[in-house]
Amino acid sequence: MINRILFFVILCSFAYPLRAQLVGDMADESRLYAETKQVNQFIRRFNGEEDEKGNRYYPRDKNYRSVKLRKKYLGILFDNNNAGIRDDMKVQFGKAVLEGTTPAVLDFHGPNWFAEVQTVFTFNGKDQTVTLFMEIEEDHGGYKWVLSKVHADMFDPIFQRDTTRVGRFIHPMSHELAFMNLRKAFAATDSISQFTVRRFRPDHLSVFLYEIKRGNLKFKQVDNVKFHFFQINGWYFELSQFNRPGYNNGWLISNLVKLNDPREKTLLQKHLYYETK
Amino acid sequence: MITYKSIGAFILGIFMVSAAALAQQKGGNDISPERKQAIDSLALEKVRDLSKYIGIIGSKKTPFSEANRVMDRAEELFAPDSEMGVSSLNRKEVTYYKVRKYFERLMALNYDRVSIQWYNIHYISDLERQPDGRYVGVVTVYQRFEGVSDDGLKYKDTTKKDITIYVERKKTQIQGRTVEFWDVMLGDIRVTETSA
Repeated sequence: MINRILFFVILCSFAYPLRAQLVGDMADESRLYAETKQVNQFIRRFNGEEDEKGNRYYPRDKNYRSVKLRKKYLGILFDNNNAGIRDDMKVQFGKAVLEGTTPAVLDFHGPNWFAEVQTVFTFNGKDQTVTLFMEIEEDHGGYKWVLSKVHADMFDPIFQRDTTRVGRFIHPMSHELAFMNLRKAFAATDSISQFTVRRFRPDHLSVFLYEIKRGNLKFKQVDNVKFHFFQINGWYFELSQFNRPGYNNGWLISNLVKLNDPREKTLLQKHLYYETK
Repeated sequence: MITYKSIGAFILGIFMVSAAALAQQKGGNDISPERKQAIDSLALEKVRDLSKYIGIIGSKKTPFSEANRVMDRAEELFAPDSEMGVSSLNRKEVTYYKVRKYFERLMALNYDRVSIQWYNIHYISDLERQPDGRYVGVVTVYQRFEGVSDDGLKYKDTTKKDITIYVERKKTQIQGRTVEFWDVMLGDIRVTETSA
């Protein structure tokens, strides 16, 4: 704890000379220094790749990814108001990150992390929440964010199917009649999802793209952004942004889960993607 | 005055960044630490120019014609089609403005006295290469605004400004010689009110 306070004091004691008219209120300023201001800074602090002033360390620098520096940073990267992240879990997580033969680092360009973006679109004139899942993808030697999945509650009724009862079906000898009974099958639009193969999984992204192209779905705004990391072997954490008084601010770990086996990882991923089956 | 200084910064940028570029000819596509530092300086110079312009545009002492001239200069810092996305602590809704519109609203604010100050703190992200070959980064700065009307009503806020910077390799002719340099343009800015 003393170490943590000391680190805050060091973190808060730096100032840059700037030519514009400046605010001299150090109480406010120290809070801004402590804040993890960008996701980029979260990754750099997590990996031990910058000094207390935010200047980048490179592999040639002595402190680059030093375990001592990383231990200090790791302590300030959790949301301290979240009682769900127990101290013993933080310690276990810290050990998993720093004490292996090769300390684990986060890789901005790597797989196993994604963004969850809560947005508002208007659909036929009405506001609707749409969750976009986005990943970093390499393209022409550079990188870009791409849509990997979409979830919107408004699309759910389209795919609802009651599998517990014998509903409508296309009988097994239909082929002999060149499927002439499809005329009747497709007449009732509310039952067409009953004619899909059992392994069919609804894909909201396709519907989303279709509705935008048709002009029915129009972007309004982004409400919230968070990130899900599976890059630390055996662990999952969520990264959220906090804007509140005090020093525990900015991009912080808002959820931490120990994953005991690959099945737990798959289950959690399905949960995050709103995939129920 | 401002124009001369901008040109000065630009030429300085050419020399600083060209020197770093020459030193890193074998560096491939990645930006070397030296080059990154030179680009960061250039980006910060542009952000400081923007800060200064915002102060002039927002000041009630600035004559209308001068404010318009400064808005033109400020607009030149930005890549085409750049926008400001603004939200506050008690209003989740994000309002999007074209840069020029944002400046015009700042000039038209209904206060008799306006004070715009900047915290002496900034954070510069890494530069990431885009598919089109340009590099992109984000500079974060904090601004304190205070507006007072003659009847004593006061409004103040502190905003965090996350400013996109685009970095592009360009060529220019100086005395018949082709000189390569890295140019920095500002892009979209996300403005969020903070609880500081």
